[in-house]
Amino acid sequence: MISYYFSLAIRSLKRNIVLTILMIAAIGVGIGASMTTLTVFRAMGADPIPGKSARLFVPQIDNWGPNKDSGPAGSPHKLQNQLAYTDAVALMNAHAAARQSAMYASGLPLIPANPQLQPFQVRIRAAYTDFFPMFDVPFRYGAPWSAADDSAHADVAVISRELNDKLFAGADSVGKTVNLDNHAYRIVGVLQHWEPIPKFYDLIDEKFGKSAEVYLPFTRAIDARMDSWGSFNCKESPAGGWDGRLRSECIWIQFWVELPTSADAAQYRGFLQNYAAEQRRSGRFDWPPRTELRDVTQWLQFNEVVSDEFRILVLVSFSFLFVCLLNAMGLMLAKFMSRARDFGVRRALGANRRAIFAQCVIESGVIGFAGALLGLALTSLGLMGLRSLLSKSIAALTHLDAADISIVIALAVASTVIAGLYPTWRATRVQPAWHLKAQ
Amino acid sequence: MELRPILSAMRRNKVGAILIGVQIAVTLAILCNALFIMEQRLALSHRPSGMEESNLFAIDNEFVGEPADLPVRQQADMAALRALPGVIDAYDANEYPLTNSGWSEGVTVDPDQPSAVLCSLYFGDQHALATLGLKLISGRNFNASEITDRGPTDQVHAASAIVTRTLAEKLFPGVSAVGRSVYIEGSKHPTTIIGVVERLQMPWTQAGGWAEKYFYNSMIEPYHFVAPETWYLVRTQPGRLAAVMQAARKQLFAIDRARVIDKVEAVTDTRAEAYRDDRGLAVILAVVCASLLGVTGFGIVGLTSYWVSQRRRQIGIRRALGATRGAILRYFQTENLLIAAAGGVVGIGLAIAINLWMVTSFAMPRLQVGWAVAGALIVLLLGQLAVLWPALRAAALPPALATRGG
Amino acid sequence: MLKMTHLSKAYRTEVVETYALRDFSIHVRPGEFVAVTGPSGSGKTTFLTIAGLLEEFSGGEYQLDGSDVRGLDDNARSHLRNEKIGFIFQAFNLIPDLNVFDNVDVPLRYRGFNGAERRRRIQKSLERVGLSARSRHYPAELSGGQQQRVAIARALAGDPRLLLADEPTGNLDTHMARGVMELLEELHRDGATIVMVTHDPELAIRAQREVHIVDGQVVDLVAQPRLVRSAQA
Repeated sequence: MISYYFSLAIRSLKRNIVLTILMIAAIGVGIGASMTTLTVFRAMGADPIPGKSARLFVPQIDNWGPNKDSGPAGSPHKLQNQLAYTDAVALMNAHAAARQSAMYASGLPLIPANPQLQPFQVRIRAAYTDFFPMFDVPFRYGAPWSAADDSAHADVAVISRELNDKLFAGADSVGKTVNLDNHAYRIVGVLQHWEPIPKFYDLIDEKFGKSAEVYLPFTRAIDARMDSWGSFNCKESPAGGWDGRLRSECIWIQFWVELPTSADAAQYRGFLQNYAAEQRRSGRFDWPPRTELRDVTQWLQFNEVVSDEFRILVLVSFSFLFVCLLNAMGLMLAKFMSRARDFGVRRALGANRRAIFAQCVIESGVIGFAGALLGLALTSLGLMGLRSLLSKSIAALTHLDAADISIVIALAVASTVIAGLYPTWRATRVQPAWHLKAQ
Repeated sequence: MELRPILSAMRRNKVGAILIGVQIAVTLAILCNALFIMEQRLALSHRPSGMEESNLFAIDNEFVGEPADLPVRQQADMAALRALPGVIDAYDANEYPLTNSGWSEGVTVDPDQPSAVLCSLYFGDQHALATLGLKLISGRNFNASEITDRGPTDQVHAASAIVTRTLAEKLFPGVSAVGRSVYIEGSKHPTTIIGVVERLQMPWTQAGGWAEKYFYNSMIEPYHFVAPETWYLVRTQPGRLAAVMQAARKQLFAIDRARVIDKVEAVTDTRAEAYRDDRGLAVILAVVCASLLGVTGFGIVGLTSYWVSQRRRQIGIRRALGATRGAILRYFQTENLLIAAAGGVVGIGLAIAINLWMVTSFAMPRLQVGWAVAGALIVLLLGQLAVLWPALRAAALPPALATRGG
Repeated sequence: MLKMTHLSKAYRTEVVETYALRDFSIHVRPGEFVAVTGPSGSGKTTFLTIAGLLEEFSGGEYQLDGSDVRGLDDNARSHLRNEKIGFIFQAFNLIPDLNVFDNVDVPLRYRGFNGAERRRRIQKSLERVGLSARSRHYPAELSGGQQQRVAIARALAGDPRLLLADEPTGNLDTHMARGVMELLEELHRDGATIVMVTHDPELAIRAQREVHIVDGQVVDLVAQPRLVRSAQA
């Protein structure tokens, strides 16, 4: 029976091809628009480290107090999104978490061994050795440096796969050195390709920015006075010089901890509050202690990874889909009602209401499926458009995976069938009566 | 044109009329808000920076290693750049507008009061104004003797500075700021304002609360910014931009290879990149609006054609009773106008509601009446255009349908 | 076969109640060919609608092929229509999207026959009406008479117990009308039970007997011997 209804649907669509095209176009365009934004939205909001996102946390400490108007750093109500150097070091020394790492982004010129090649800038991440196991960073060659290297402020480095390909043609370069700003660093490890989207561990400046090319011990970076390439925000002007910065309340260090169980998390929260209370007792803070601990998901929300513009786009595109479905409903109404007589004949010949219902639902489904195909094509086009119109960092999010495709088809068919429910209901209401005799 | 028969005919075709009405309402609501947002974003991306942006480019220069004689090397670079054919002027800077990264500091007129005003801090020498193309409206430019060196972590502030008109008015409303003193946060001594320029925006380009307040608050301090990585800003003669950009890069490497030049970018490109998302959003909204109008228009065509086909007999009867073709045409156009008007009223209400929600959720400004009216007119026009084709076909139906029954 | 006893059908509007049929009784036995005549508005159309289970009735009794049909729900009535009744409409009412074969197929689909069974019945039906050669044609490509014959084939395909015809020649010219009437008479000779509504007395004569309705009631039962028609009639 279903294949019968399918062939009836195809025939009916062929009969009034203009109307059919209008319907499929309406649905296809609506689906294309909404799926374009939905695809990117899903990618933006996706868990960047599934399986671990509930065990990784960012501690936040209010080291500025209530009276501040810090401009770019944020509103007075939101807690600071980075730590001051003093707090970062204090937390590291306290060892209150299973794994922990202070870190910041920097950059230096890399002078290639080959004198013919020009020096070029590389992105650096200064961190502690725990960084690598915490974020499940995959290694191709070698391993992270040791905790002893951290304490010794050793000049060791881990480099990215891309940098390794560029400098050493992808060979095992462990033991070799890289020259950063005229200082040699011994390579201890080479990563596999690792570009989490979004770059959740550092959402300053670019939410979807590229990961670092060189990883160095935090302690070494501080020794070498490597400038922060992220944001450096102060409540008051710091004292002069590099040391002035380290002692100041300027926030520029990121901090992540791994807390395997919720008990550990509760314990760490307590530890943070105690720490802040201590700072108050010692006179450093003169406001009530205020700390927070956010896991990956909460951290992404706090940093508003999905921009307002994007939320607006998603809403606009789904409203558009709504209009398209209303449109399709009207056209389906026209289509079904202009065949009212055929439905009346079928009823007279023995079709019950359920048979008419099934026939119409399948016809709606066929239209929906055709709309889905058009919608898929338009979604690809839309994603291409987004890629060229918006920042390059979004480009990585604009790919259709199998899940997206299934969603497109399911959404198109389901929404068309739902839009067709009223016209279908009207069709089942057609009386199998003798008005068939007249016009 | 009597409305009552039209209204009663519509009542019997309620669902179809409602469908079109709702489509028109939602289309209108989206259209008004989208046009409004588009206009905002485009206005945002056209905010003048104060710089004369054509024929201006920036070089991101970083010296390798930590050479002890940075100031000397920078001066050598500057001299070389200024000597290039086609270059009008150049200077080395800590930051410039549209890059979305920069320095800001609080400034106050009373050293005992906490600073109430934020401003962006630019460092520049006597070449800065000419290079950037800033207009001095009172006071004077720096002279060479005032310029000193300053590193990134030095906590000093100059004895003199040039400010923007906006900042001057905020600090000294109603009077000339030239000759008056201000206190920059962290500085132990006052800074005297020696000149006021018309306009210079902050380095950041986003819209929103704090940015609106401080957008044109800027101060230029007479420093050579001495750091391994700085911006070199160069103004060229008209038409020579591309050539000079290439020549500059070559010349700098010729002087000293121990450097990294990450970027040589025309400031117009910096602007395009800075506002890329805003312009992108505007384009996307434009496409959505056009599609929305298209879909709704074709929907009206389809549904009205169906209504015409359902009422062929009636139309024939009317014609047989003496209605002209024009009367039939006007009938359908009036019918469409009524539906569109109803949809329009609901749509404007919906547009305002959506806008209010966006005002609270996304901190947007309020929708202006002009957009609501513009949107309503566009949608009404669309409806009338869309109904034209089926209405003309209806008007062309022969009166013989009355007897023949179609 | 078709037995109505004291049947009534009332239409209620806001103000007034009209009876389309009132104390209406008719008994059609298997194998009879009955013509139902009457002026327009007499209720003959309503009678056929109720007889065909297309509408419910207000009072009285209706037995179709021995079973009482009062109170049957929509599903049951559809099922009964499908199995027991073959309709022939004045306006043919073929489905324009479908070709002749698929048009005859429609009631069989709702019956639930498998593909082979349906094909067999369709072929048999089309042969019976003499249109096997046109099975791939579409209704728009056929003459009025041919279309009506396809409709008859459709009505026959399910082996119905009763054929209900509403002005079957109303939309046909004399020549085609004759062809269709001859077919109906043939079917009757082969044992079909036919109830035909018509306003044309010349057609009514060709039936076995005539039932005349005026104002919703049977006025007279006229039993007429079958007349042998002259060659040029």
